[in-house]
Amino acid sequence: MATINATISISSPDLTSSPINLNKMMTLTKAGTTTGLEQTSGIVRRQFTSTDQVNLVATGAQNYGTPTATTNSNKIYIKNTGSSTTDYVLIGLGDAGGGTATTDAVNGDSMTIGRLYGGDWMLIPAHLATDVGDIWIAPSSSALVAVEFILFFE
Amino acid sequence: MATTTATLALSSPDLVGDALALNTSKACYKAGTTIGLDQSTGLARVYLTATTNVDIITVPGAVWAGKNAKVYIANLSTVDSEFIIVTKGGNVIGRLYAGDWMWMPMEQKAAHLSDVEIAPNVASGMWVEYMMVHEGVVLTTSADS
Repeated sequence: MATINATISISSPDLTSSPINLNKMMTLTKAGTTTGLEQTSGIVRRQFTSTDQVNLVATGAQNYGTPTATTNSNKIYIKNTGSSTTDYVLIGLGDAGGGTATTDAVNGDSMTIGRLYGGDWMLIPAHLATDVGDIWIAPSSSALVAVEFILFFE
Repeated sequence: MATTTATLALSSPDLVGDALALNTSKACYKAGTTIGLDQSTGLARVYLTATTNVDIITVPGAVWAGKNAKVYIANLSTVDSEFIIVTKGGNVIGRLYAGDWMWMPMEQKAAHLSDVEIAPNVASGMWVEYMMVHEGVVLTTSADS
């Protein structure tokens, strides 16, 4: 079994009257256990030169373990490696396999999470259920942008 | 202007043949600028005693689409089998098991579509922390007015 640790530090000397110094470490384990996650996509680096909405991570049978929305503790890290403060990549969940924009809907098949500007990163759980667990990306401009991600999964 | 920085250290000595040691850090800016996010919910700490799906961040009818925001959520439980299901607009993002945290950007779209919700898997009590750092939200109109 592997040991994977992820520590977040959020700090601000002046956002509020009392400085913020939040540190939280987690060990990435399989669902409901202390057994470490042991599979990974590795550090994937992809370049985009279009504003098309496309799947960054396409789930499906056996692509990333056995997809299920109910019994896993997968994690995904995504970073916009660019430096632009105006261009961003939009990240969301749902199938964008056709390369066309999907429409967000409450309890639907697609949902926008948020924007990653240059240098921004995120780390979230990833249920990876087929299609609705796909992770899509839509750059805001056709200027070249490189995005890295790492998937840790059961 | 405030300065808020989010740093990640991700490491594993044995997941793959080449040890993983990733470090990244980024200041939290308003959308399209280098001006720091200057508003926050503060770090909230709640004790949930039902499995009901509840809003921890709500987006009412009028929204500030395009504003930048970051959300931190941590499950403080120490019982391995306990988790919360995190959803946004009713769409599942995934599970945070005991000790897990997440950090994500948040796009504010239509009413309810961007609400961030959590649902514990047990009703025996679970501590959860969360915080949003942002550049503006539309607050819900008081029902008393």
